[in-house]
Amino acid sequence: MSNISKGDILLEIRGLTVDVQGRRILDGLDLTVRAGETHAIMGPNGAGKSTLSQVLAGRSDYEIRGGSARFLGEDLLALPAEERARRGLFLGFQYPVEIPGVNNVYLLKAALNARRRQQQLPEVDAFEFLALVRDKMKLMQIDEALLSRGVNEGFSGGEKKRNEILQMTVLEPVLAILDETDSGLDIDALKVVGHGVNSLRRDDRAVVLVTHYQRLLDHIVPDHVHVLVGGRILRSGDRSLALELERRGYDWLREGAAAA
Amino acid sequence: MSASAEQATPLAALARAQDALPGGPGWAEWRARALERLLALGLPTPRDDAWKYTNLRILGKRTLVPALPRPLGTVALDVLPPVAGPRLVFVDGRFHPGLSAGALPAGVTLTPFAALIERGQPALLGPALTGPDPSAIDVRIRLLNACFAVDGAVLAVAPDTAVAGPLQIVYVATGGGAYPRTEVELGAGSALDLIEYHVAADDAEAFVALASDLRLGPGARLTHSCFQLAGAHTVLLDDAKVTLAADARYRHRLVALGGQVARLDLRVALAGHGASAELAGLFLADGRREHHVRTLIEHRAPGTRSDQSYRGVATDRARGSYDGKVIVHPGAAGTESRQSSRNLLLGREAAVDTRPQLQIETDDVKCSHGATTGALDEQVLFYLLTRGLDRDTARALLTYAFLGEVLGLLAPEALRRAVEARVLGRLPAAALIREFLA
Repeated sequence: MSNISKGDILLEIRGLTVDVQGRRILDGLDLTVRAGETHAIMGPNGAGKSTLSQVLAGRSDYEIRGGSARFLGEDLLALPAEERARRGLFLGFQYPVEIPGVNNVYLLKAALNARRRQQQLPEVDAFEFLALVRDKMKLMQIDEALLSRGVNEGFSGGEKKRNEILQMTVLEPVLAILDETDSGLDIDALKVVGHGVNSLRRDDRAVVLVTHYQRLLDHIVPDHVHVLVGGRILRSGDRSLALELERRGYDWLREGAAAA
Repeated sequence: MSASAEQATPLAALARAQDALPGGPGWAEWRARALERLLALGLPTPRDDAWKYTNLRILGKRTLVPALPRPLGTVALDVLPPVAGPRLVFVDGRFHPGLSAGALPAGVTLTPFAALIERGQPALLGPALTGPDPSAIDVRIRLLNACFAVDGAVLAVAPDTAVAGPLQIVYVATGGGAYPRTEVELGAGSALDLIEYHVAADDAEAFVALASDLRLGPGARLTHSCFQLAGAHTVLLDDAKVTLAADARYRHRLVALGGQVARLDLRVALAGHGASAELAGLFLADGRREHHVRTLIEHRAPGTRSDQSYRGVATDRARGSYDGKVIVHPGAAGTESRQSSRNLLLGREAAVDTRPQLQIETDDVKCSHGATTGALDEQVLFYLLTRGLDRDTARALLTYAFLGEVLGLLAPEALRRAVEARVLGRLPAAALIREFLA
């Protein structure tokens, strides 16, 4: 078991400022995520939501102009992407890539073993691993036939998203960042994804949902809701903030920011 | 090859070399004609469109004079995959009974090309070398082969014979010029699996010009695989010409791993109604190696199909090219044709040229072509990194996966496995990706 307790700080972002191709996308962002919490980061298109997700996961072609991010007490921004993953940070992609020729199961097994080596745990063997994956596939209602294919190869949009959540449930990250996981999902798939994410929630882990719409939050109820506009968190609150955004949109916040 | 080749091999030396070859006056005259025509056409220069991607300077540094028979040093045939079935071995273009093994299957007859020379029957193989070539393709490699070929395999498969198991031909080069000649005639309704290997020691300064003629009778099927493992100082020019009668089916598989400069010229004439050709191949050029593929598919009859799928990887300062042309002749209605050339550059100084071309002279055709050349997709790499894979592993994995589609086409399994192992052995971080392979 991990030595993380409920309430420990897992992620602490201070004044994070990031340029993408010379344009400022994140502009002094602050965020603290503690063990046992589920956060939702909401915002209009172009607010910097995906940039934040990708920067935290280790995209190296974004320019970090200022600020800091610490994960489990370590300087996150100094770690290469693979080291972040091995330490338990998971990014569920908005657009999961297709990789023909790289088998789904083998990738997932390699990912799990990379994480276990970091934790100084013995690697799982093929037999144990398959049993584990079959179990989680049932949870995610993924057809076993997809296992033998290339990563996301020929998957529907919904299947790709469910595959991301499958990976997450197998890898059991300390911090899962799910980037627009709800986009492209129908109601039934949304339920399945919600179920998968909820199964991961525990006192020693945290989940950050990055989303445009609040409908995902009907299935995964967050403890904290943040509004990201213009590269920084403009407002934080509880679940009711998401419902207010649903009613009023984002513009009133922008006007508020301009006035302030 | 022009100026520099003439320095390495003066023209007088070429003519003198012909004097030493076996065969009666008929052959001597035939070879002299081939040389005369070759010289009239001139050796290739960088200005020749057919040779624009090939490094002619390296070609010119090899002697074209045929190697003389000599005691054989160690020939590393253990690099060959453990594929069951008879094996014909040619060393420097001459049949080597000691290295060859296995009885020919029923329905296959072999006539050594050397025996044809003894019998004085040059006309048998002559037509392609005399009149103007109707497809206006570069015939100079075939002419060069005609100038100096002294041996080879002339194979015939009896009609309606499905030959069990593959027939293998191994071309070994030990240095100097080698000019093997291969002819295969498949009778109507017959089927053959032919595997060719090119092998040479790394220190052999060899020049190999292989000329093949493959003729498929009505309904015949030929799977023709070429596994090229030539040495680091071998220049290899493989010129194959395939003609298909009605409903015949031809498959070519190329795996090019070795050589200094290695090039395949593959011409396929779909001459009969419903004939089809499926060409697939991969090359893996590292160091300063060059791998070139040049294809010409001619749809000459209605209802013919062709499919080409080539994958190239170039690392370091290597060069590669795919230069493919499909011609749909008048009257070849209902033609279907697809060309795909995808190339991966893994070094800042590596380069691959690709040129898929279509020439359509009839209506009612379905043709497509596509070509890409580029580095590994950063988005895909990033995805793998976020799953905990390190960069070297991710790169090796994606490189291997890039070739996976072509690797999966290789048969029999012993060949596929051997090629996979070789390809893996050539990738950096190969050990890291073994756990991904079944």
